[in-house]
Amino acid sequence: MKLPSKLAKWLIALGLLHGAVICAGFFTPYDPGEQDRENTYQPPTHIHLVDSQGHFHIRPFFYRYLNREDFSEPPQEDTTKIIPLRFFAKGARYHLMGFIPLSLHLFCSDPGSGRIYLLGTDAYGRDQFSRILFGGQISLLTGLLGAFITLLLGASIGTTAGYYGGWRDGLLMRLAELFVALPWLYLLFALRAFLPLAVSPLEAFLLVVVVVGTVGWARPARLIRGIVLSAKERDFVRAARGFGASNTYLLRRHILPETAGVLLTQAAILIPQFVLAEMTLSFLGLGVPEPLASWGNLLANLQQYSVLVSYWWMYLPALAIVPFFVGYLGLASALQEHANPHKIEVGVTGDTV
Amino acid sequence: MNALLEIQDLEVAYRSTAGRECGALAGVSFEVYPGEILGVLGESGSGKSTLAAALLRLLPPNGKFRKGTVRFEGQDLLRARQRELQKVRGGRIGLIFQEPSMALHPTIRTGEQISSVIAAHQALDRRALREKTLQVLAKVFSADANRIAESYPHQLSGGQRQRVLLAQAIACSPALIIADEPTASLDPSTQQDILELLRTLRDQLHCAMILITHNPAILAGLADRILVLYAGKVAEIGPASEVFGSPQHPYTRALLKCLPPPLTENLRPRKSKLTVIPGESPNLQQLANGCRFEPRCTDRMDVCTTSEPAETSLSRHHAVSCFRYGG
Repeated sequence: MKLPSKLAKWLIALGLLHGAVICAGFFTPYDPGEQDRENTYQPPTHIHLVDSQGHFHIRPFFYRYLNREDFSEPPQEDTTKIIPLRFFAKGARYHLMGFIPLSLHLFCSDPGSGRIYLLGTDAYGRDQFSRILFGGQISLLTGLLGAFITLLLGASIGTTAGYYGGWRDGLLMRLAELFVALPWLYLLFALRAFLPLAVSPLEAFLLVVVVVGTVGWARPARLIRGIVLSAKERDFVRAARGFGASNTYLLRRHILPETAGVLLTQAAILIPQFVLAEMTLSFLGLGVPEPLASWGNLLANLQQYSVLVSYWWMYLPALAIVPFFVGYLGLASALQEHANPHKIEVGVTGDTV
Repeated sequence: MNALLEIQDLEVAYRSTAGRECGALAGVSFEVYPGEILGVLGESGSGKSTLAAALLRLLPPNGKFRKGTVRFEGQDLLRARQRELQKVRGGRIGLIFQEPSMALHPTIRTGEQISSVIAAHQALDRRALREKTLQVLAKVFSADANRIAESYPHQLSGGQRQRVLLAQAIACSPALIIADEPTASLDPSTQQDILELLRTLRDQLHCAMILITHNPAILAGLADRILVLYAGKVAEIGPASEVFGSPQHPYTRALLKCLPPPLTENLRPRKSKLTVIPGESPNLQQLANGCRFEPRCTDRMDVCTTSEPAETSLSRHHAVSCFRYGG
């Protein structure tokens, strides 16, 4: 089947963005946990083609920043030593996609010559650029898994309510109303307060995924229920029941395919929302903890006043989500247009957590 | 001979959104014998389609059985468990719905739609299923069964779609086929083809048929017996030759008079209007006392306005619900 060009464009854009995050090890020069205590809160490194004597270099290079005594002064570059950039060079070892051991990097400098920090460093001298790309893995995984859990719950609950009707419908839909009405953020604080203060990063990650995933099922469940309600009364469904089709067959072949469009659109709307939810939680210290990086806990540094006013590059993780958000919302509108070609506008509303 | 299907005093009502009930079938009783074609004749709103759906418990959610039994091959379908019912549907009773364009799934190939009927009743592997599907299709299409199996419903003509529905109905060699207006949306020559096919299939499969229609012309020469339904009640039931040859119920008589004369006699300038039955079929939510046909009847008597007539046998197989015959 040929995809319409608009849908294909958004899919390709999202594919590239995700590819960069999935292959973070290749695109970043350093390990996200590696500390450089000599160079804490370094501003982003400038890349030059022309040196201080005015000579042009084909290979891009950079200068090291001089260590400052006084942090109120602007940083000075050490122009005595040119450090050339190396492309497709060997550097720190990493595992591509978590299992392919590699040490090839898109760019880095020669070991021992000075380190390149495209987006500056944090309080421990860790490379922000590496941390943002690696943090994206956690944040996006939360979004994807959360949306998957939500849609799985929403689709099964909505289908049960719509298809079987009766008391099941009543019970499940009242439950959905309850879930929509609950103040989730505060409930989450309470829940987190009950749990031990220090949980392992993996446990914390799973907790965030499960919480984010179970909170949002009510909206998709109600949407799916509506579709199933109208789908099960169609003439061909009645006809199929008339030749002895079982409920399993009807659900699998007639009912669920009709919900596919809404499920996909919902997924495209929910994923960025859940990424944002993870960022909120981690920012507040309820989500993924250090030393793991996530977009939320990278921003948590901004809670210190001195960071907030002195180091502008610490805001950069907030920008990371923007292209993903735009990509997913564009995908959602393209999907909706694909499903209902006569309805062009898309209203993306609703908030989670 | 033992009846294949026995319907006793079947009453079905629909509940409106306002909560009011509207009786669609009000005590219908009749039998269907193995191998016969029973034609059910009635105008819009007489309960024809409700009857078809009720026999297999396929009423819409607001439809409700008030009382009665539907006994098929010794089994009470109205009280059968869901699983038993699924075996009967499609397996022992084939159902052909009214609209061939609506009764087929638009995005599933017709071959799969037929094989899913077979798969619902027989455990066959893929190849056997495919073979059986083509065999069934070959019974309703003289050629091209392969191409039809690969087509989607929108690629077929109305007549072809009707044949696919027929194939679904006969896929498991049922003992009874219920066809609800099988020719309503077809042009006259395709209509004749489908009716001819129905007769052939009945002869090949030795199954009984309930043929539901509003058009007496379709039943002539095809049905063995005729049941005339009026406002949810049986007006007259009897052998086709007797019902069409000497209709007894005033409604049957009026209905047959409404048939247009053959085209060849009608080529002169149309001076004469077509005959119609005066009035409208009754509002089933506000039934008056008395015979349901009384307001439109040309033969009415005093008793007709006060009580409803019961079924009276005229001969062994012919019965009428009218006070003219004792009631």
